Amino acid sequence: MTAADVLLLGLGAVAVGSGLLVVTTRHLVRAGLYLVVCLGAVAGLYLVLTAELVAWVQVLIYVGAVVVLLLFAVMLTRAPIGASDDLDRPGWPALLVGGGAGLGLAALLVDAFRWTKVDLPEAGTAERLGTEIFRSWVLPFEVLSVLLLAALVGAIVVSRPDIGTRE
Amino acid sequence: MGVPGEGLAKGLAVTLKTMTRRSHTRQYPDVEPDLPPRSRGVIALLEENCTVCMLCARECPDWCIYIDSHKEEVVVPGAARARQRNVLDRFDIDFSLCMYCGICIEACPFDALYWTPEFEYAEYDIRDLLHDKSRLGEWMATVPPPPPHDPNGEPSKEETAAVKKAAPR
Amino acid sequence: MPLWLELTIRVAGVVVAFLTLPLIVGQAEHKVMAHMQGRLGPMYAGAFHGWAQLIADGVKFVQKEDVTPRAADRPVFQLAPLVALVPYLLVLLVIPLGPDDLVGQALDIGLFFALAVVGVGVVAVLMSGWASANKYSLLGGLRAAAQLLGYELPLVLAAASVAMAAGTLSLPGIVEAWEPWWLLWQAPALGVFFIAGVAEIRRPPFDMPIADSELVFGYMTEYTGLRFAFFLLAEYVGIVVIAALTTVLFLGGWQGPFGDDYLGWLWTLIKVFAVSFVIIWLRVTYPRLREDQLQRLCWLVLVPVALAQLVLTAAVKIAT
Repeated sequence: MTAADVLLLGLGAVAVGSGLLVVTTRHLVRAGLYLVVCLGAVAGLYLVLTAELVAWVQVLIYVGAVVVLLLFAVMLTRAPIGASDDLDRPGWPALLVGGGAGLGLAALLVDAFRWTKVDLPEAGTAERLGTEIFRSWVLPFEVLSVLLLAALVGAIVVSRPDIGTRE
Repeated sequence: MGVPGEGLAKGLAVTLKTMTRRSHTRQYPDVEPDLPPRSRGVIALLEENCTVCMLCARECPDWCIYIDSHKEEVVVPGAARARQRNVLDRFDIDFSLCMYCGICIEACPFDALYWTPEFEYAEYDIRDLLHDKSRLGEWMATVPPPPPHDPNGEPSKEETAAVKKAAPR
Repeated sequence: MPLWLELTIRVAGVVVAFLTLPLIVGQAEHKVMAHMQGRLGPMYAGAFHGWAQLIADGVKFVQKEDVTPRAADRPVFQLAPLVALVPYLLVLLVIPLGPDDLVGQALDIGLFFALAVVGVGVVAVLMSGWASANKYSLLGGLRAAAQLLGYELPLVLAAASVAMAAGTLSLPGIVEAWEPWWLLWQAPALGVFFIAGVAEIRRPPFDMPIADSELVFGYMTEYTGLRFAFFLLAEYVGIVVIAALTTVLFLGGWQGPFGDDYLGWLWTLIKVFAVSFVIIWLRVTYPRLREDQLQRLCWLVLVPVALAQLVLTAAVKIAT
């Protein structure tokens, strides 16, 4: 086992462990904080796999913005310190769906690759990603950005009922 | 209408200018403060001038002056009978009550009380703020000389009176 | 030189910078602020003009009792100061001091790394604000989160403009590509980045989350002793980081009037301290912005200016 393997396993364990804590903890805000740990560990996995840019995008977007927004919303509405005993989460169906999907995918991947070794592609630097995105993947990229723009406009319209109403 | 952001720039200029000037801080315990001569620090007593007329104690708004005295007969050679004289036994000012209005000093007809700028007489016990006459007398050494008359101010009453007296002749 | 030795020296250098630069900036703040207000500032600690004031403060903080409120969420409460401090330490790793690899760790996407890691600071603010079990703390934390989320956008856009102009995300690369006329061309981005940066580290006049006259001390209200000192240290490291990023991105880093090769580190330091001085100067001069003014400035002024700058940069880039 190389150092990279150990790192991968360790970070994977952290990601899975904190992910489990996110869904099992009864502390509402702590669940969000565990999510930070989980996403950070995933970013670490990307780093070990030399996908630098993706790793830091993960930190910037998910840790720096998405989770913060999530925590923000939770704190604005209801965020007691300590355990909340009145959570009504459908434990069994969630376990079935989540666990089933996770284990199924894992089994599929393990079965597909067995012991074949895949060399790391060249490092995912900003330059390489840029070339890839703006050469071979321009169309999906642009479609995605239009989709996001539409979502943005939609969000504004939904949240501002005064827009578009005729007096 | 000025240039937009003019106020912001002015604010920056003010703080920058202030930085280059000397600061106003007085480094008190290290450097003695330079107090004006009429500062009201503590009240000094010139015991010899006191006639125990009690005006100060009566005028004091919060009654913080305590005076005791007794009469003594003084035989003056050549006089028909012995004169009576007031002798001061006790003259205390309680500085825990004093509000530094200075009415006692104004009221004293014989110039027995003076302001001095000394102010370092804080005590750990409030009872120690009662200064007796010997302590009040010690402050006399710190009374500053009266400031010179303001050349542009109106002349003193003594001067105008003297001029009036001299005029008809 | 073996790899491990070089790594140790680099990390040690960054740690030394992490421990000294904020103290120098903090002391400068004491003195500059005092003189701008016609005062003298600290004069006793260390005999000569109070140079050791911050060290004395540190000793005092260590001696103080470390109080955790009973209703607080203990682990989160105790972890928050560290989460606030560590990102800035990491950012210092990638900021180049001089040419020829005089940098903690040259990253190919250093700019991106710096922005991403600075963004993590919000989590610490939310953690401390919520875990204190104090309504003032919570209000401060929420204000801080709203402010940081808002100002992150113009910050990233302004940085993107200069990255576009230089054609690289590497911080040393940006400094190498920098030319004096960029000062003019990138001036709007410089202004936006600097203002958004000051807001990002919650310095006055953007200290609405702390707002001591209404929120006691915002998210730091319940902190005492060493943990509070960590928050303060994070603030001063924040000044250094924002000043250093401004220097590297917009003011040409180690490029100076002469001797870039051997005096580069000095030019960088001079520029960093000059920008830090401006940050302190702003604090003394302007009153705190109200919450709505704060958001208005961000969304209605900074973001449009940053977008316009992006268009300008792209146009110039295509034209040349």
